Amino acid sequence: MTWRFGLFDSTFAPLVSTHWALLVALVFPLLMGGLAALFPPKRAWPVVLASVPLLASGGVLLIAFQEAGLLGWQWEIAGLILSLRLNGLSVLLLLTTQCIVVAAALYTPGHFRLTEPGPLARWLWPLMGVALSALSLIWLATDLLTLYIALELMGLAAVGMLMLSGKAPALLAGMRYLLLALVGSLTYLLGVALILGQWGRLDLQGLAEVIEPGPVAWFAAALIGAGLALKAALFPLHAWLTPVHENAWTPVSALHAGLVIKASMFMLLQLWSILLPDTFYAPRIIAWLGLLAIVWGGLLAWRTDSLKTLVASSTVAQLGYLMVAFPLLLGPDIAPLPRALAWEGFWLQLVGHAFAKAAMFMAAGNLILATGEHTLKGLAGTSRRLPLSLLVFGIASITLMGLPPSSGFTAKWMLLEAMIITQQWWAVAALLTGTLLTAAYVFRMFRYSFDETAPRHRYQPLAPGMDLIAMLLALTAFALGLLAHFPLELMHGGSP
Amino acid sequence: MITLLLALALLWPFGVMGHAVWLAYRAPEAQRDYFSVLWLSAAWPALLLAYVGEAQWTMDAWMLGGEWELNSLSRPWLAFTALLWSLAAVHARGYFAAEQAQAQRGDQDAQRRLLRLALLWPLTLLGNVLLIIAQDIASFYLGFAVMTFAAYALVVHTGTQEARLGAKAYLILAVLGEGLILGGFLWSAGAADTLMLQGVRESIVSAEHGAWMAALLCLGFGVKAGVIGLHVWLPLAHPAAPAPASAVLSGVMIKAGLLGWISVLPLSHAQVSGALAQFGHWMLVAGLAAAFAAAVYGVFQRHPKAVLAYSSISQMGMMTALVAMGLVAPDVWPLLWPGLVLFAAHHALAKGSLFMGTSISEHLPRWPQPLVWALLALPGISLAGAIGAGMVSKWGVKAPLYEMHHESLIKLLSWAAVGTAALVSAALWRQWQQRHQGGSNREQWGAWLVAVIAALLTPLWLPLPAGSIEMPPLKEWLGIMWPFPVGVLFAAVGWLLTRPLTGKTLPAGDLWGFYAFVVGAVLVPIRAFGHCCGRLKSASVITAQKAEETLMGHLTRLLSGESWLRHHTSGLMMMLAVLLAALLMWEGQR
Amino acid sequence: MLASFDVIEVLLALCLTGSAFVCLFDRHLVRASCFFFVFAGAMVLAWLKLGAPWLAASELLLGVLLTGLCFFYALGLLSPGASAPLKHDKFSHPWSRVAMRVVLALAWFVMVGAAIRYVIGDMMYSPAEHPLLLAGVLIAALALAAFALHRHLFRRLLAFNLLGSGVFILLAGVAGTSAAAQMLISVGLLVACLGTMLGALLIRQLLHLEGVEALGRDGKPQRSKA
Repeated sequence: MTWRFGLFDSTFAPLVSTHWALLVALVFPLLMGGLAALFPPKRAWPVVLASVPLLASGGVLLIAFQEAGLLGWQWEIAGLILSLRLNGLSVLLLLTTQCIVVAAALYTPGHFRLTEPGPLARWLWPLMGVALSALSLIWLATDLLTLYIALELMGLAAVGMLMLSGKAPALLAGMRYLLLALVGSLTYLLGVALILGQWGRLDLQGLAEVIEPGPVAWFAAALIGAGLALKAALFPLHAWLTPVHENAWTPVSALHAGLVIKASMFMLLQLWSILLPDTFYAPRIIAWLGLLAIVWGGLLAWRTDSLKTLVASSTVAQLGYLMVAFPLLLGPDIAPLPRALAWEGFWLQLVGHAFAKAAMFMAAGNLILATGEHTLKGLAGTSRRLPLSLLVFGIASITLMGLPPSSGFTAKWMLLEAMIITQQWWAVAALLTGTLLTAAYVFRMFRYSFDETAPRHRYQPLAPGMDLIAMLLALTAFALGLLAHFPLELMHGGSP
Repeated sequence: MITLLLALALLWPFGVMGHAVWLAYRAPEAQRDYFSVLWLSAAWPALLLAYVGEAQWTMDAWMLGGEWELNSLSRPWLAFTALLWSLAAVHARGYFAAEQAQAQRGDQDAQRRLLRLALLWPLTLLGNVLLIIAQDIASFYLGFAVMTFAAYALVVHTGTQEARLGAKAYLILAVLGEGLILGGFLWSAGAADTLMLQGVRESIVSAEHGAWMAALLCLGFGVKAGVIGLHVWLPLAHPAAPAPASAVLSGVMIKAGLLGWISVLPLSHAQVSGALAQFGHWMLVAGLAAAFAAAVYGVFQRHPKAVLAYSSISQMGMMTALVAMGLVAPDVWPLLWPGLVLFAAHHALAKGSLFMGTSISEHLPRWPQPLVWALLALPGISLAGAIGAGMVSKWGVKAPLYEMHHESLIKLLSWAAVGTAALVSAALWRQWQQRHQGGSNREQWGAWLVAVIAALLTPLWLPLPAGSIEMPPLKEWLGIMWPFPVGVLFAAVGWLLTRPLTGKTLPAGDLWGFYAFVVGAVLVPIRAFGHCCGRLKSASVITAQKAEETLMGHLTRLLSGESWLRHHTSGLMMMLAVLLAALLMWEGQR
Repeated sequence: MLASFDVIEVLLALCLTGSAFVCLFDRHLVRASCFFFVFAGAMVLAWLKLGAPWLAASELLLGVLLTGLCFFYALGLLSPGASAPLKHDKFSHPWSRVAMRVVLALAWFVMVGAAIRYVIGDMMYSPAEHPLLLAGVLIAALALAAFALHRHLFRRLLAFNLLGSGVFILLAGVAGTSAAAQMLISVGLLVACLGTMLGALLIRQLLHLEGVEALGRDGKPQRSKA
């Protein structure tokens, strides 16, 4: 399992251009964030200019990986070994992250023009830059120290961004998130302390070789698991998520739901695959919680009155799909075929959901911005006036529901196939229930929007690019199902 | 060339309809001429088609595969049908002149009525033409159905109480008939795996339940043809319908049923099964019963059109009996059918002119009265077989029966002709009683006169096979003519006998009242059952709503657990860590 | 046995545990904050004792000075004019919740203790040889229990800081003062300090916007502000 994460020696050393691309990918967002804090962009074109080198760095890294396979970096600073690696999965997640952050950044100027967010708004840019750098670092890092630093950076940046709207409920929710995120990190740190005390090293590749199943590994796994589950909003620990999104700015929500919680999920799977290579019950527990998450999140989204809560609760349910795949990825006695299918389905679901959820948050934000209403009932009559936003919402929902030919469908199909091969019928039932519930809450939302009896409100006109960006994200999520061979190829590649 | 004409005959009515629509939405109100020359010409291409010659068309692309034919049977049929439609259209122009003037003055109601008639009249005609030339089931059925349902507008035109009752009776029985026909067609076509009428005939002969298929089809067509028991719509619909509509209803549409029988029954087929022959006997009896009973009942009607409707039932009864002979005595049919076609054609024109005559007697032209009444009486006398085409057609039927020694049937038919004579004299008497002066116009009486002449001279223009019809020899004239004076005598005697009962006439539509009562009685328990189901439904809806409310309440309470989860997130994290550690330890220690 | 008994370490451990206990469970918030100073001071000494002067310096700067000032700022003692300073935690807890947290704290204590025992084999036989480690386990368990128990945001912030310190002691005790461990602890200290600053700002802002009640509203359904 650990080879799938690229924890082995690389054949080729990275080229000079690759070094530069790495530097740009990690540092450039910080620079641009700082610059934007000083001179906040009023239009989208400076953001476009800034995002060109960033996306180019992602492209260069992609080409480098496709040419040379796995790439590794290692630095020794004052007795500390810091290491990075670039495998197919990291490239995929890096590109996803860059695309979504760029989209959110492009969306932001229009959003600010319409909402007049106040003096705190300029802080969004550096925080966004920090979040992007931290996320990129998480996808690349292979030692526990770097991961810890990146995790903390990302967490603090995320909390900061979510609270910028400055309303009391946002502050309260943000405070709760801050405390829980910090405690989660400390729990993770305690697990890391056990590992460091027992084996005396922090690099994952070395640990993967020396760690043997034993009490220390188990305790560390339990602590790390609990801490990261808290940060990733896995089922019983998810309750902080909805209030946070309820009051946050739209691009921040899109970023957070799409990427930030996925980073903790990524780390959890990566570390457990090292610590718990052949355990039966712990992944099962996660999967059963995932089953509950699907039902609970679906029900929450179905019965809620608020549009943002609907979208946020749907995130809880969608994370459930990922949790349900845990036994296939970590459990013992799984044949290579279902394991490979589950692996591909897992990441495709994660990436597809990231795009779709970001698009959905933007569409929901557009609807709320235009109507001035936060409730589903406030959507009455939007089908006539805001068809484009609804269309984006619909395309994103197709991915969430897993209807063909979206990426959600391809991912769920793979997971389903793996589950059927391994005869995990309860997981199949969970997947199908989730689809039904998703359809239920999506169509409930659409029923409100097609209510023609409502009085006509005056709608605020949207900036031209806002729907377009959301549409591009939704279409990307949709097209990933049709062009699934590209991400799947990346995940195949780089095996030793 | 002939194909072009066929296409024209079928497409022309569409053009007419399109023109009517254009008229209704584009032309100014005061200039709307619903019965323009174009509208009158709807049937002319079809009439021309009948005289061009025989032809056959096969079109695989048309529905289930179309096969149309102009043969020795369909040509004369098309000829008299198209002729009567043309004459009735001209008559209609005169008949509706007053209503049209009303519409041009801006009466919305009249506009609506006239537009409906102007649209559906060509459609009815189209259905009628299509069913005559069709040789495949789909086309035939399509034509029949289009004609039947489009004709509803003709019946209901005036929109009065009586018209609505007549239209209701017409529609109920029409739907019943269509159902029977469809069932019969599906059964027989399915049994023989065929799509042609020829196949249906063979299927009825060869299939085990051929007699039942025949019964289904015959009853279905019998609705149109006014078979006794299914005839009740005729005396209800005719008095209510406008005179030109009555003319085509009673003249040609009623004959569509007859054509249906001739098309689907294996007449003149040598190896008819016992059951089928038995069925033929029943049909014979039913036809003769209709011929007599309708005559007896009809003479007591007040409304001249009702009397004429009963006359139609009586005449159709005679034709039913003749068709039945094709089953009972197959060898007589090849000789009999030209006579039957002539009989039908003559009846069509005569009955058409009689119905048009009712509108003449209501608006008598300023001519010498004896001349008018003589002209009004002429088609009736002819119908009774005393003069002209009536005599020829009687002989055309009688001669083959003589030849094959069916004297008893001839006798019965002669006595039925007595009934016809009595009915037409009664009708004329009622017309005399209800006459009005003035108001008729050129088109009205022109079309009527042409129809009278055409009725009297039917054998001359009907494109029957050469030599199939001849004048009766002089010594037979008395045998053919005697029913007329006897019938008039009977009518007079009957009138004298029933004089004390004036004011107490028998209701038109005889059995309709009985049917309505029976259906009403049957509907009572069904309605009760329906109410019961309705209550059950509303009760279950209420229960389901309550259940949903309870469920949603529970769900909402359950979901309020979210805030509990939010409150205890950190505790839950501790629990998760402890649980995972304990589980891992337990699993590892095993 | 007595020979291996390091008096200073034991005293330090006792001092740490005692001040932490007061800090966590005193409803008088100013007193609790003062005891946090005591605790942080003891931490500085502990780092010195463990031979990590770099960490001691960081603790002094970040832990004592910045974090302590943050707490006083959050209580409203540094900017007197702003609004009424926080004095007491008046939020009550049902006994079932308290009992549950006690059980959880015990379980957590057992778990962390067991984990440490597996890492350091001889601790099983002479727990008193590692008094600081023992104090760390105790503080971590207590702080987490207090974090889960309290509704008052200020006290939760305090509990988080103590939890952090407990974890750092454990880290140092288990992994020694290697470069990696020191780096981890420094990052942790920095993050804790940043988090505390952010938290203090938030508490002030919330007090300003909503009043004292808002600080304890955690988890309750939000009343609609019509």
